[in-house]
Amino acid sequence: MLDAFQLPFVQRGLLEVLILSVPAGLLGTWIVLRGLAFFSHAVGTAAFPGLVLAGGLGFAAPLGAFGAAVLFTAGATGLRGRRNGDDAVTALVLVGCLAGGVILASDVFGSGSNIETLLFGSLLLVDGGDLALAGGTAAATLLATLLIGQHWLRAGFDPTLGDSSGPSAGFFDAILLGLVALAAIAALTVVGALLVTALFLVPAVTARLLTERLLHWQLLSIALVAAEGTVGLWLSVETDAPPGATIACVAGAVFVLAAAAKALRSRPRAAAPAAAGAALVLLAAGCGGTADGNPDKVDVVATTTQLGDFAREVGGDAVEVDQILQPNTDPHDYEPRPSDVENAAGAEVVFASGEDLDGWIEQIVSDSGSEAEVVDLGAGVPIRLPGESSGDEASEFDPHWWHDPRNAEAAVRGIERALAAADPAQRSEFARNADAYLAKLRRLDRAIARCLDSVPPARRKLVTDHDAFDYFANRYGIEVVGAVIPSQTTQAQPSAGDLSDLARTIEAEKVKAIFPESSLGASAAGAIARQTGASAEHTLYGDTLGPTGSSGDTYIGMEQANAEAMVRGFTGGEHGCAPKP
Amino acid sequence: MRTEALIEAEGLAAGYDGRPAISGLSFQLRAGERMALLGPNGGGKTTLLRALLGELTPLSGELRVEARCGIVPQTERSQLDYPVSALDVATMGALSRLPWWRRPGRREREQAAAALDRVGLRPLAGETFGKVSGGQRQRVLIARSLVQDTRVLLLDEPFTGLDRPSSERLEDLIAELTGEGRAVAIATHDLEQARRSDSVLCLNRRQIAFGRPGETLDVGVLEATYGGTIVELPGAAGRAILPPHHHHH
Repeated sequence: MLDAFQLPFVQRGLLEVLILSVPAGLLGTWIVLRGLAFFSHAVGTAAFPGLVLAGGLGFAAPLGAFGAAVLFTAGATGLRGRRNGDDAVTALVLVGCLAGGVILASDVFGSGSNIETLLFGSLLLVDGGDLALAGGTAAATLLATLLIGQHWLRAGFDPTLGDSSGPSAGFFDAILLGLVALAAIAALTVVGALLVTALFLVPAVTARLLTERLLHWQLLSIALVAAEGTVGLWLSVETDAPPGATIACVAGAVFVLAAAAKALRSRPRAAAPAAAGAALVLLAAGCGGTADGNPDKVDVVATTTQLGDFAREVGGDAVEVDQILQPNTDPHDYEPRPSDVENAAGAEVVFASGEDLDGWIEQIVSDSGSEAEVVDLGAGVPIRLPGESSGDEASEFDPHWWHDPRNAEAAVRGIERALAAADPAQRSEFARNADAYLAKLRRLDRAIARCLDSVPPARRKLVTDHDAFDYFANRYGIEVVGAVIPSQTTQAQPSAGDLSDLARTIEAEKVKAIFPESSLGASAAGAIARQTGASAEHTLYGDTLGPTGSSGDTYIGMEQANAEAMVRGFTGGEHGCAPKP
Repeated sequence: MRTEALIEAEGLAAGYDGRPAISGLSFQLRAGERMALLGPNGGGKTTLLRALLGELTPLSGELRVEARCGIVPQTERSQLDYPVSALDVATMGALSRLPWWRRPGRREREQAAAALDRVGLRPLAGETFGKVSGGQRQRVLIARSLVQDTRVLLLDEPFTGLDRPSSERLEDLIAELTGEGRAVAIATHDLEQARRSDSVLCLNRRQIAFGRPGETLDVGVLEATYGGTIVELPGAAGRAILPPHHHHH
């Protein structure tokens, strides 16, 4: 049952949680005492522009986050002046920070997936730097609590106990706010900015229900953070849920239990259902199973749905493919789950798509302690188009290489070679499978070319959600007129200017259809279509395959479906493609 | 009793953001004296206490504070739920005497226990502050002021909400403290309280009057103090409160 804690990445996550329990438990009590709950929630989120700047300019993310948090703190307290606990000012500065971060992220630097990770946290990707930061925060918090905790206690008790000797109350408050900011940054890696309060506030509030004295409260808070973090981490491995959210749920459940227990003591009848409900929640959360590998097969991890499809085609029954991304999920939004790291730990071969699409795989593999070779299939494809030029997140090559079937052929050959090296006994079977699949790919390529030839070149004008189809367009003579998100990553957000430029272009070029992507959901594409009179009814499979049973549930199906949708869109619905190849 | 003046104000004005909330204050508070600050809500009693504590710097005039002042504030609702014992609260008084990086140790806790003893609350030292009665809370806060080693105690509406026995105990304690040579200033609405003091300062955004209660508290002063809207009838047994147009001279 405790197997989870034998995995090295889980052990490191556990260590991080245990170290953080000291500052989280201590500061949690001060946060509650001093009415800083909203501030502590805001300060982690307000670190966002710092994270973007750090990513864009290439310095350490915690440094950027802490800088932003300090500026936020100074701004919020400076504006607040004498009026303590004015949440409106905190909210005002928070909104400024978030807006600044979004503008920086989408218009100045482009954007990258590591910002997502920092906003939502990733306990399974804790490294030595994170542990050191947590340790430093723990030491600073402990020291400050020992030396000046009494001043915080008194200032919270009554701010107007006049004594002019020594530093002002503002001095001690500044230290407290600084520590809260530091601890929020340290916790970013674990639970992410949006769930920081799960570590800081919820255990402290829970412990407060059960204790009357500061010291007991603080010790109990620390113990609760440690226990909830440990249980949450274990549960997240067992149920394969994101660890930060799981810890937050466990903390919430413990709070409900504690509140119910307290109510039970004062009013036994009324509270019983609440306690039963809370226990049920915990039980339900505790259920879940784990998958285990098959010893006779080659264990393969593929990052994207396309690579998973290729690997299954080539490997056949001789491989066990664990595919990290799932259909219709946006790879730019990926957060690692325990099973991903666990699968990577047991993998013999890991297939990656390359560039910024799945850059996180390197860290997952190295953190899992796996010896597996990461095969970057994107690096070996023959046709490569330039990536985005601007911003630090720009990549050298456009990562959506699979939309040219000639590149898919090269990837299939690469998979065949890697599988043969991993299991030489099955070499001939892999070769047979690969050859059969490659024949299908070539037929696919010819069929799509034929189909698009049925549309006059002047009408092959493509407008999509984001710039994912340059390879497809390049292969089949399609002109990419624009994209709703003018970026190869879906992380960027279109500005009003971008959208009105696009609308003008669509009207000037007489574009008949805009093609939303299946994995992105309804977006601005529909709005642009309504404004310009173009249709937006034909969706494309861009970054991932469709779910099982959809027309795009395999690579071949996906490309056929895309060709069909484009031809129908270009011709205003007159015709699609010829019968399937 | 012409002893040294611990606090002396001359034409004092104080307030927030450069705007005076009180002005024209000229008074002295001497060792062993009990002074009443009489005035309506919003009349500036709390502003004056904050100026005496040094939290507000005078906007004009002069204020000389020759001794350490300690305040016994009104209990805030949030304090009732605060995770501290009576002893913890009394110990807080030591913070203003210690260097800022020193936490109160055994010595300070012993002083706090002695101060609780002094106000008759030694048995309640371990009780949660919010759980003791209102009168006991006032005495805990007075104990804190004693630990702070203050010669001037500023009490903000200390009798509000106290029952008669609690009020009497507090009266006795205040008498003891002034007997030791401490000065006590009491902000109050209560005319009877004001009458029992050595001096009374009538305050309604400016100083209406200052002097011995018997010479100071007449109807004109009280009408001016309470803005001419309501006035307590001097000498009325039930302390009736009537609008000024109801009484006839």
